[in-house]
Amino acid sequence: MDALLEYTWVVVALPLLSAVLITAVGKQLPGKGSEIGIAALGLSWLLAIGIAWQTFVASPVEPLERSVDWTPLGGGFVFELGMLVDGLTAVMLLLVTTVSFMVHVYSREYMQGEPRYTYFFAMLGLFTFSMLLLVVANNLLLAVIGWELVGLCSYLLIGFYWEGKSNQDAGNKAFLTTKFGDVGLIVGVIVLSAGMFGLTDTPFNILEINEAAVAGQLSTTTIVLGMLLIFLGCMSKSGQMPLHVWLPDAMAGPTPVSALIHAATMVTAGVFLLARLYPVVAQNQAVMATIAIFGVLTLFFGGLLALVQDDLKKILAYSTISQLGYMVAAIGVGGYAASIFHLFTHGFFKALLFLGAGSLIHAVHSNNISDMGGMAKAMPHTFWTFIVGSLALAGFPLTAGFFSKDEILIAGEIWAGAGFFTGSLVYWVGLAAAFVTTFYMARACFLIFAGENRSHHTPHESGKLMLAPLMVLAVLSVAAGYLLSPFSPEQPNFETWLATPLLTAETTFPFTDEGTAAASGLVGDGVLAAGTSLAAAGDGPVKVLHGVPTWHPDLLAIVLVLFSLAVFLAYRFYGKGLPERDPTLSMGRFTDVLVAKYGFDDFGYRYIVVPVRDKLSAAATYSSNVLIDGMVAGVGRATKNAAMTTYRVVDQQVIDGGINGAAFSAAWWSDKLKRIQSGDVQKYAGVLVAGTILLVLAFAAAR
Amino acid sequence: MSPIGPLLLAAFLFSAGVYGVIARRNAVLVLISVELMLNAVNINLVTFQNLLFPGDPAVTGQMFALFIIGVAAAEVGVGLAIVFNMFRNRASVDVDDADLMRW
Repeated sequence: MDALLEYTWVVVALPLLSAVLITAVGKQLPGKGSEIGIAALGLSWLLAIGIAWQTFVASPVEPLERSVDWTPLGGGFVFELGMLVDGLTAVMLLLVTTVSFMVHVYSREYMQGEPRYTYFFAMLGLFTFSMLLLVVANNLLLAVIGWELVGLCSYLLIGFYWEGKSNQDAGNKAFLTTKFGDVGLIVGVIVLSAGMFGLTDTPFNILEINEAAVAGQLSTTTIVLGMLLIFLGCMSKSGQMPLHVWLPDAMAGPTPVSALIHAATMVTAGVFLLARLYPVVAQNQAVMATIAIFGVLTLFFGGLLALVQDDLKKILAYSTISQLGYMVAAIGVGGYAASIFHLFTHGFFKALLFLGAGSLIHAVHSNNISDMGGMAKAMPHTFWTFIVGSLALAGFPLTAGFFSKDEILIAGEIWAGAGFFTGSLVYWVGLAAAFVTTFYMARACFLIFAGENRSHHTPHESGKLMLAPLMVLAVLSVAAGYLLSPFSPEQPNFETWLATPLLTAETTFPFTDEGTAAASGLVGDGVLAAGTSLAAAGDGPVKVLHGVPTWHPDLLAIVLVLFSLAVFLAYRFYGKGLPERDPTLSMGRFTDVLVAKYGFDDFGYRYIVVPVRDKLSAAATYSSNVLIDGMVAGVGRATKNAAMTTYRVVDQQVIDGGINGAAFSAAWWSDKLKRIQSGDVQKYAGVLVAGTILLVLAFAAAR
Repeated sequence: MSPIGPLLLAAFLFSAGVYGVIARRNAVLVLISVELMLNAVNINLVTFQNLLFPGDPAVTGQMFALFIIGVAAAEVGVGLAIVFNMFRNRASVDVDDADLMRW
């Protein structure tokens, strides 16, 4: 049965193959490369469905790990190239390939006539590959490679319309902001693996890190420092305040890109990574509290910003930030399964909303909801799918968003029951934000679909290729919720799907007091949002601690009241078209704060961008051009001088002087000596006689 | 008979010959000086034959002297021929002029 799981790498490889093929031959094909992308993603999607099905029906499954040693890292450590397939991976594979496939199909029509049509599809393929690489990576280094690649693709696709300066700026902002967090990520990964150095040859292996953390082999310092730094990376990637500033600007990219990258997949990478390392996160209270607080801040204040936006895509972007806040907050209050469940459902309905927005923008040639109005008649299919997506986002009962968001709120309640303040924070702020969410989505829906057409175009319904993905996603936006709802069976359901054998009642949340934790239902006999050793639980279905969700009438009542109130308010303000004074823009100082986006952009520009640009870059330029170049030039000049001195003294004077001296002295001496051969025979005779006399005298004296 | 007289004579002749060869400029006189030295040797040969081997029937010294006289005659022949050629070419018999084999 594992046979299909062994081929998980094919799911990852197909989009890369598609990207390469499109780049190579895409332009010559009749569909300009889009058919390759759609075919590859379709195959990937089918395979991912198979993998998801296998892991789901048999859930919980033991993780399947396959790796080859890629390259030694030095010091006996090995960098693996490998995949880790478990329920979490399967969920992400299914989500990414589904949304990516839908976006591919949708873009074939939406991007028609774009000058860089082929490039767009190549980039989509590359992005999908990178995201899948991140998802299946079995070690943190490989995950970081995928992480950086998705960041690159995001940058390239935000700047897809690079003729516009503001689009370039948006790309740069996204890249630099996420890069800031990535520094934290890579340092955090190294800190975590440093704790593993004594334990294994593969310190980056995710399973081994999780096992070591659960076994208490990692020091508290390692866990806190490592996870907080990794969380910094997650904050920048998943748009957590205050590093969310790039996400609304990222809407400069084409709408299908916003749907795929900036709503459904890439921005959830941070949440995915936290879930991947959840056994480590769950070891420390401070880490969980930090994550929960940032999540709560983001889910509430991010949502508020959507109130004053006119640009439909920006409304959706702020709502994405807010929903990401829910996911992160859920991780921080022990809602591991709830967080991933929300990630999963949110991927579908937010992709649906973005694609629907694309369909509307296509029809009226404007992003602004103030330019729309009365679209319900002209675009019936877009209308109902968009309403389904909005209901899911607002958490209307029986939609996917309702089940997943309620799971998060329940997780907060249980956490609060175990005596943690952040639990109630998530519960109440989460409810308040649900009201805000409902209100801004109702505002958008009324302004778009009700009243008179305010656009200067005659709206028309989009073609089949754009509507089909909308309908598929609309169905999923409702259906996905039943994976973990009061209607789902005890096994399999979404929670058993995500269960890992690592987390047991004893090893999770070691900082909790046993009595209160058990009483509140946080830990207990069953396995946590994750499993006991799966092998040990062989006799009978594995129980998940929370079990199948039950109805919470109190919560349901509050949610329904809030929903009705928000829709009623929105109807009063916007039901009859765009009011002359938009109420959300007439709230005095409150509006000013929201329109200024709490001043983050202004603050960032004034205190980060400007100082960096004017001071730091100037200083860096100075140090580079003057100091370092000066040093290099100085060393160069010194070397040249030394060489010249050596040439003049050693070569020209000592060596050449010696050789010339030998030659000149030979000439001088030979000039002197040659004069002995005067040609005067009588002189020779005289010397001969003198010599003879001397010899005779010498011999005589010697006797 | 005492050998002192002939030996002194021979020494004087040899010295005169050496002096003539080294000092005279005239090539003919140089040749004559060479003859003087040869004859000094002849006198010495005869003198020492009579002094060391008196009455010996094998008169080696005298025989040597005769040979030397013969060779000297040949030598003067060659030498005079050179002098004649030299005079013809340069209109001079000064040995100082014959310095072609120099640096």
